[in-house]
Amino acid sequence: MSSRDKILATVKNNQPGPRDLPPDYNSPAANAPDLTPQFINILEAIGGAAFLVSGYDRIATILHEQFPDARRILTSCPQLTAFAAGRTAAAALSAAEPGNPHSLETVDLAILPAHFGVAENGACWITESQMIERVLPFITQNLALIIPRNAIVATMHQAYDRIAALEAAANTSAAPPQAEGFATFIAGPSKTADIEQSLVLGAHGPRSLTVFLVDEHLSDAGFF
Amino acid sequence: MSSSPNHKDHAALAAQFNKDEARVDWHDQTLWFVRAKRDRAAAQVPDWETLRDTASRIKDNVLSNLSEYLRQFEAAATRNGIIVHWAADAQEHNDIVLSILRDHSVDRMVKSKSMLTEECHLNEFLKDNGVEVVDTDLGERVVQLAGEPPSHIVLPCIHWKKEEIGQLFHKHLGTPEGNADPQFLTHAARLHLREKFLTRRAALTGVNFAVAETGEFVVCTNEGNADMGAHLADVHIACMGIEKLIPQRRHLGVFLRLLTRSATGQPITTYSSHFKRPRRGQEMHIVLVDNGRSTHLGRKDFRNSLKCIRCAACFNTCPVYRRSGGHSYHTAVAGPIGSILSPNLDMKQYSDLPFASTLCGSCSNVCPVKIDIHEQLYKWRQVIVQEGNAAASKTAAMKTMSWVLSNPGVYHTAGKTGRWFMLNVPFAVKNKWNSWYLQRELPEPPKQSFGQWYKKNRK
Repeated sequence: MSSRDKILATVKNNQPGPRDLPPDYNSPAANAPDLTPQFINILEAIGGAAFLVSGYDRIATILHEQFPDARRILTSCPQLTAFAAGRTAAAALSAAEPGNPHSLETVDLAILPAHFGVAENGACWITESQMIERVLPFITQNLALIIPRNAIVATMHQAYDRIAALEAAANTSAAPPQAEGFATFIAGPSKTADIEQSLVLGAHGPRSLTVFLVDEHLSDAGFF
Repeated sequence: MSSSPNHKDHAALAAQFNKDEARVDWHDQTLWFVRAKRDRAAAQVPDWETLRDTASRIKDNVLSNLSEYLRQFEAAATRNGIIVHWAADAQEHNDIVLSILRDHSVDRMVKSKSMLTEECHLNEFLKDNGVEVVDTDLGERVVQLAGEPPSHIVLPCIHWKKEEIGQLFHKHLGTPEGNADPQFLTHAARLHLREKFLTRRAALTGVNFAVAETGEFVVCTNEGNADMGAHLADVHIACMGIEKLIPQRRHLGVFLRLLTRSATGQPITTYSSHFKRPRRGQEMHIVLVDNGRSTHLGRKDFRNSLKCIRCAACFNTCPVYRRSGGHSYHTAVAGPIGSILSPNLDMKQYSDLPFASTLCGSCSNVCPVKIDIHEQLYKWRQVIVQEGNAAASKTAAMKTMSWVLSNPGVYHTAGKTGRWFMLNVPFAVKNKWNSWYLQRELPEPPKQSFGQWYKKNRK
C-alpha cells in the first residue's frame, strides 16, 4: 500500500462524523460610503504611501520627484512606457529578458497596475499577467501600484468575491483566458521586526510601496 | 532541540532560562507587547468573535471531510501542473525532498519559514547528505547562524538581543564589531541573502493554507523571502501538513483576516501569495505530510488542535511561555499549542509539556480558531498519568497526597505537624530542597487549623 493510500485510509477511518460548512460569511462593515480614506490611512500606518491622482501624467510627475535616482525603471502600463524609457540609463534599457528573472535584480522601480485595493488592510491584489515576471514586485528596490480609485473593497470577503468575478470575466471574454498561475496581495513595503521587534522597512523586497488611486474626475491640484 | 530520551524536561530547562532574571523580564515584556498589539488589532474588527466562530466551524468541516478534501486538492493541483507527493512520516518527507534535489543535481537550497521542516529535522538531514540549506527569514537566519532551533514559530529569534545579533553578524557576515542597529543589521542580512536568492536553483517554502477547490496554496510573509526564493528558483518545493487544507478559496477571506491580527497585530502580512501553477520552465512540488496527524485525528479529545493555523497568539499570551522561553519546550512548535500537539508525536518524550501551564485559559481565549487549548492540556495530563508517563516524583507526591486527604486522622496530624515545624523550626521547610520555597515566601503559619477554630466558635 502506498503512503498516499495509507494516509487517506487512516484519515478516512479517524475523521469525525460530518460537520456542515457554516453559511458564507459577509462582514457587516461592508457598506461604508467612501473607502478611500480608510484605505489610505491603513496603508500609511503599515509603511506605504498613497496618492490620489487624476491620471498618468500626474503619476509620472510624482514618481520623478520621489525617485530622482532611479536608473532602471520597468512598467507594464503602456501610458508610462515613455516615462520609464526616458529615465532608464541606456545600458540597462533592455526590459526583462523573458525567462530570466535574475536579470531583474538591478531594477530600481517597478510600476505595475493592480486589480483592486482592500480598505481594511491596505492590500492590493495583483495577478501574474500584470507583473511582467513573477519575481518583479518582490525583487525591485521600489514598487508603485496603480488602481482605479473606485476599485477599493471593504474587507477580504468582498476581495474574494471580486477575485471570483475577475476570473469569471476572464473565462467568458472573447480573448483566450489568461492563465493566472500566480497572484498576491501586497500590503506595504517588505518589512521585518525580527530584531528586538524594531520595525525595519525593506527586508528582502521593496523598501517602499506607493499606491496611486486614479480618479479621472479629479482636478490636477487635488492630490494628497 | 534534544531528541535523546535523556533530555532535560521543561522545568529544568525553564530553571536554566530563569537564572538571568533581567533577561526573563525583558523576554516577558517583549512578548506582552506583541500580545497587546494583537488585542488592539482584534478590537478594530467589529465582527471579530463571529469571525473566530466561523473559522472554527470551517475547520470542523475540514476535519470531518479531510480525506475527500485531500483527494480533491491532489486532483486540482495535479491538473494545475504541480507534482504532488505523500509522506507518511518525517523520514519519508526528508527522503522525498532529497530525491527531488538529486534529480536536479542541486546541492544548495534556500528555504523560507516552515515549521513542518523543523518538525522533520530536514536541515540536519540534508546537511548529512551534502546539501547546504540557507534559511532566508531574518529571524531564522539568525538562529541558524547560531546553531539553534527557532524559539518561537512566528518570531524565531525573539530570545536574542540586538547586541548579540550584532556580534553574530560580525562573526558570520563581517559587519563592524559593536554595531547593533536593527536597521543596519537588517540591511546587511538583505545583501547577504540576496546573493543566495540569486544563486540557488531550488527553493523550499512552507504553506499557510491550501485550497481543495482550486489546488492552489497560499504562503504569507512580511519579508518577501518565500517569493524571492520561489520565483527565482527552477524548482519550488512546498511542504505542508495535511491539516492545512481549507475547502474553498473564499474561505481564505476568513483566515487571512484572523491570521496576522492574531500573530503580530498587523491587519495582514505584507505578502499573501497564491501559488496555483509553476511558472514557465519551472517545476513545482507539494509534499503532503502526515507524520502522526492522521492518528491524532482519531483522538476525540485532542483532534481540535489540528485546527491550528500557527499564529502563535497562544505563545505570546502564555505566562509560562513568556517566562520560560521557547527552548524550554524542546520541540519544534513550543508554547501551549505545541504542548498539546507534541505528546501525540511522542507521549513519553513530551510527557512534561502539558504540565508546563497554569491552566489559566488565556491561550483558548485568544485562539483565532477557538481550540480548547487549556482543556486539552488538562486532559493530556490525565492520559499521561494513566499511561504511566508522569514523572516519578509527581506520581509519588500525588499518591502521598491522596493517602493524606482520604484519611482524616492522618490529615489532621499532618496539618498539626506542618504548623509546628513552620513555627518552631522554619529552616526545616525554608531551605533550597523545598521547591515550593524557591520562588516564594511561605505564609505565617496559623495558630490553629480551621477545624479547631470551628469547633471552638460553632455556638
